[in-house]
Amino acid sequence: MASLTDISLVAQVAISGNRRAFDELVRRYQSPVRRFFLHQTLGDSQLSDDLAQDTFIKAYTNIASFRGLASFQTWIMRIAYNVFYDYTRSRHQTSDIDQVPERSAQVNPTLKMDIYAALALLKPDERTCITLQLIDGYDIAAIAKITQIKEGTVKSHLSRGKEKLANYLRQNGYDRR
Amino acid sequence: MIEDNDSLLQQFFSEAASQQIEDNGFTERVMQRLPSRMNWFVRIWNTVCIVLFAVLFVVFRGWDLLAVQLEVMLRTMSTHSFSINLLMVFTIVFGLLFVGVGEVALKVKMENKAL
Repeated sequence: MASLTDISLVAQVAISGNRRAFDELVRRYQSPVRRFFLHQTLGDSQLSDDLAQDTFIKAYTNIASFRGLASFQTWIMRIAYNVFYDYTRSRHQTSDIDQVPERSAQVNPTLKMDIYAALALLKPDERTCITLQLIDGYDIAAIAKITQIKEGTVKSHLSRGKEKLANYLRQNGYDRR
Repeated sequence: MIEDNDSLLQQFFSEAASQQIEDNGFTERVMQRLPSRMNWFVRIWNTVCIVLFAVLFVVFRGWDLLAVQLEVMLRTMSTHSFSINLLMVFTIVFGLLFVGVGEVALKVKMENKAL
């Protein structure tokens, strides 16, 4: 099962409802999806896991809509982004998201500067674009696909976000380390 | 001192970029929460079978056939005779049982897979 391609696993889930195939897909992509949510929620691991679970359940129920035009990871990240977008809309108070929560066991304590304090400076869209590029390694076209934001707007978010973060890091002396 | 913003940020996020989150039972929790989803082919096949059975039952006036077969069966029971008509009744009854048992078996199989 581990050697099968994503497309093959998706086909097994979509055609025969093979749950083992979906189990394998979840194992493969739980880390990037949970990491994405961890950064969007500024380190709230419980909320991240809840949102990640919702993401995979949505992926399972809508697996037939996966056409293979993009990679499975891009497709699942798009669902993750929509889940988070719906969550922030349902909260009506985005200020809660911007507060740095209590640290959980999953946060690496060896990080020399608090990554979540830095990300909290950014607006949600800026944070999403920045983390997708600098942490998850997506290029601008892939970020535009995931967020359904125009490439020009993605570039603007990246530019503004990087400027804010760089200023913050310099003010805190990170550039001299 | 790092002058370039991109280099500065890449260095800052490098540790986060390489962070892998351990599964720690996450996949099991997702699998337990998955809704039961019957395969579309099974759904269509079940619907076709039911509709076909209902149409044939009406076209061939199945209720008359059943009544007659039941009467014949009861009357001939004492003589131990065996007729083609009786065979038809048994075929229909066991056919329905077969479909029913198959349906239950499929659901049990899907539940077991979920576990």
